[in-house]
Amino acid sequence: MNRRIAGIALLALGMAAGAWFQFTRVTPGGHPGIRVAAGEASPPDSNDFAGELPPGVIPPPKIPDRLPQFSLGDRSGKTTPIASFAGKSLIINFWATWCAPCRSEIPLLETLQAEWAGRGASVVGIAVDHRDEVLEFADRFKIGYPLLIGEQDALDAAASFGVASPVFPFTVFTDRRGEVVALFIGELHKPQAELILSQVQQLNDGQIELPAARRAITAGLSALRSST
Amino acid sequence: MMWLLYSARMKILLAALLLLLVGVASAKPWWMRGAASNETDFLPPDVAFRVAASVDDNIIRVRWVIADGYYLYRHRMNITAESPDLVTFAPAMPPGVVKIDPYFGSQEIYRQQVEAAVRFTRIDGGAHPLQIKVIYQGCADAGLCYPPITKVIYPQETRAVATAAASHPFEGFAILAGGLAFLFAGLLLRKGRKLELPAA
Repeated sequence: MNRRIAGIALLALGMAAGAWFQFTRVTPGGHPGIRVAAGEASPPDSNDFAGELPPGVIPPPKIPDRLPQFSLGDRSGKTTPIASFAGKSLIINFWATWCAPCRSEIPLLETLQAEWAGRGASVVGIAVDHRDEVLEFADRFKIGYPLLIGEQDALDAAASFGVASPVFPFTVFTDRRGEVVALFIGELHKPQAELILSQVQQLNDGQIELPAARRAITAGLSALRSST
Repeated sequence: MMWLLYSARMKILLAALLLLLVGVASAKPWWMRGAASNETDFLPPDVAFRVAASVDDNIIRVRWVIADGYYLYRHRMNITAESPDLVTFAPAMPPGVVKIDPYFGSQEIYRQQVEAAVRFTRIDGGAHPLQIKVIYQGCADAGLCYPPITKVIYPQETRAVATAAASHPFEGFAILAGGLAFLFAGLLLRKGRKLELPAA
């Protein structure tokens, strides 16, 4: 009987030793006894080099067929809905003051505003940046076309065009009915802009339908790209 | 005859594989797929700029690998402490390549890869997992910029194996004592057992 008790006691002692070892084990970078619960603080991006590249970083866009509705402050701070430009073909340029290619585009956008205003088109710059910096920048570079300014709300506006993970610049072209004809990512140059606007013009004049215009733009941009 | 059948099946299989490969090859980034968007091949930011950190003694090394045709601005990179018990010093960044921009002027940029070193101390010896915050911003030569990226990362211990194996001072004793306790318990319990024999 005594042997049995002694055996059970030793068994308990062994279990206690195991438990003590388990719970007082030193975790790397932590105090003894402190354990990070699973899912509580899992390493977010401890090593971008390990494993495969993240293919699904940016979700697929849902480029809308029609101009989404959003409102942003203009230069004076007045909340301005994008719908206030209704009836015009729009060249909506998303940009930021810290973005060098965005700055490079400004002379072209000024030219487009001057050349296409008589044909019912307007450039609208949407600055995703701090208001003060945008206003100072717009004065310095004498930006003449309408500007809407915002931070998170401007990011939301960018997301409404399917650009959920923002890159700058990008430019959206709509026809006068508010149909989204093209979305151009990256610095816009005059040949690309004229190609898209000529299709917008034909759409507005009822010479072609939207799918045909989009196909022509895709093919034209591809040809321009391969020629450079 | 069988080899013909086999060959036909193989042809179908190969054709299917080929179609699959074509499909995979044409799996473009989202901005290439839109019917009305331009065919660009800009990389997502996490692919254009990959970052990882390691820790060695009291230095955290943060390394960025930058895709061809992309660059990071030196003055827009920073590394700060994220763990509450961590104190980091100003990161040491190598000199970059000078890029002349018509609007920004002369700026230092990094291409291909760059490694920053940050000295650190821990106030209470590491009660929290080692976490740092890295901030960086870059662009593509083809005319695209990404907004500043902020990431919280866990530097990997370069001596991870040694650290993981770092044991409590009494760990060996505990294992030995536990093992011996189980052994003696088994012996004692075995001796105490009586074998029931069937009555003759």
